[in-house]
Amino acid sequence: MIDEYITIALPKGKLFGLSTELLKKIGWTAEGLHEKSRKLVITNDAAKLKFIITKTADVPTYVEYGAADIGIIGKDVIMESGKDIYELLDLGFGKCHLMMAVPKDKKRASLEDYAHTRVATKFPRLAKKFFDERGMQMEYIKLNGSIELGPIVGLSESIVDIVETGTTLRENNLEEIVHIADATARLIANRVSYRLKFERINNLVTELEKIL
Amino acid sequence: MAGILETPYGTRDFLPREAAAKRAIENRLAKLFAEFGYEEVVTPTMEFLETLTISGGVESNLFKMFDQNNRTLALHHEMTTPIARLAMSRLKDSPLPLKLSYNTSVFRFRKNQMGRQCEFYQAGVELLGVSNAFADAEIIALAANGLKVAGLKDFTICLGQVEFANGLMAENNLPPDVQTEIKIAIERHDIVGLEKIVDALNLDKAAADSLKKIPKLHGGIEILETACALANNKKSIDAINNLEEIYKLAEIYGVADKIAFDLGIIRDFEYYTGMVFEAYAPNVGYSLAGGGRYDHMLKDFGLACPATGFALGIERILTACEKQGISNDVRAKDIYLSYSEGKFNAAIKRALELRDAGKVVELSLIAQSKVDAEKSQVDKGYSELIYLNDLDF
Repeated sequence: MIDEYITIALPKGKLFGLSTELLKKIGWTAEGLHEKSRKLVITNDAAKLKFIITKTADVPTYVEYGAADIGIIGKDVIMESGKDIYELLDLGFGKCHLMMAVPKDKKRASLEDYAHTRVATKFPRLAKKFFDERGMQMEYIKLNGSIELGPIVGLSESIVDIVETGTTLRENNLEEIVHIADATARLIANRVSYRLKFERINNLVTELEKIL
Repeated sequence: MAGILETPYGTRDFLPREAAAKRAIENRLAKLFAEFGYEEVVTPTMEFLETLTISGGVESNLFKMFDQNNRTLALHHEMTTPIARLAMSRLKDSPLPLKLSYNTSVFRFRKNQMGRQCEFYQAGVELLGVSNAFADAEIIALAANGLKVAGLKDFTICLGQVEFANGLMAENNLPPDVQTEIKIAIERHDIVGLEKIVDALNLDKAAADSLKKIPKLHGGIEILETACALANNKKSIDAINNLEEIYKLAEIYGVADKIAFDLGIIRDFEYYTGMVFEAYAPNVGYSLAGGGRYDHMLKDFGLACPATGFALGIERILTACEKQGISNDVRAKDIYLSYSEGKFNAAIKRALELRDAGKVVELSLIAQSKVDAEKSQVDKGYSELIYLNDLDF
């Protein structure tokens, strides 16, 4: 018997379409579930599902607090958030990697030569962890978008950002010098929801595993 | 002066309504613990750093300071360690088993969020000196009854056993560092990470699948059979038998309907050695209570002694009660007693009589007109007004 709703947090942006498509294949969908929806909560009463669409970086927050039972989000965002959430399944799509890039024409001999310089990034936590492990102190400049602009206008000496194809880097004369971590989309769950709604969540994982 | 009205990061005030609810729950828990024969102890709020860190791993989360000899002190971050110290020092010659309870605030430096303050309140028990399932079942029964007397109806206690995962790993002769990695992945339910670690080990498929399944072993009593089928070693099978035994006793205690099994719960595995559990309630995104068996910890204080216990998070229980529409605000506000000029003596006597009769009485501290008295009664939330004036005589 299904008597309780499952709330699913989905991120706006490139993962949204891929996520809804995947979930639809196993019947987890709702009428009016699209990115431009004006409704904040989209409900499928028959299937006892609620979808919420949030900003990318907010998905782990909703799930950690249990406001959403499960969510789909990139590993990069999970790692940056440092949130206490369960990571149930690698969905394979949304493949990208976190890396450090510098202007081609100002490339220094080695990574260590960048110690005590400024790094522009949307991922200050991951960047700090990376440099800390190498004993490098950096000045982190948190930007919320167009990270590539940093070195171009002299705001920073380097960037730490997510790259899919590398086109943007090339267009802006930036060169990747260190690969930091790989990332794909993950199915995540709240630690209490995972236990109190285990059957439905575990079935979802099993169903998804079959079609991935 | 900026800041004089602030409280330090991660701390909070309890206003009368909140404090009354907190006190009500704490009183009921104290009564329950006493009924089970657990005696309350109070330990210092601060201890020497060496004492609290004897089992390792927590120093960065402690609030630290220095005494006048420059020894490092820290605020206690949980009560199990101070009680272990007490048991191995001043209570050393007491007959076993020792059954002790506590109710206090503890301190952990961490990112502050709802249900996760830096200073927070815990009530709990420690049962020292017995290693059998009977002791663990008593602990589970006490935890379940604790949540019940706190007013909660809807909650689940998830039971695990750390030796199950330990047995599976030993069975495959995994080196200690890999075992640690696996345990971290299981505890965090980083199932993607766990699969990667296990795949890299090149185990045969059955063994690899067993390890990968650990965090997904959740369900009713039937899950124990599934778990047993995955294990080919005595340690894991003993662990499952131990859970079964605890469950049978929990049935007699009348709390089995609140129990689910979850072999992915290993909690702080540096510390726990057997049964472990966490309690959850719907719509509260974190556990309300946790505990388990820790048979090695007392050895760090000088004498091997089996032990088991748990702590309940008072604020978390309050939040869960609120979500389930259960009020713990039990402030009785019976009578507001006021009077006209010259009636002081009569008013004091009347107040004493009413209080002797068990009423909660607030006595006005100044003479009032009847109209003002009625207003005060309403403002202060008293259910009845008694007003003394000359007409009474």
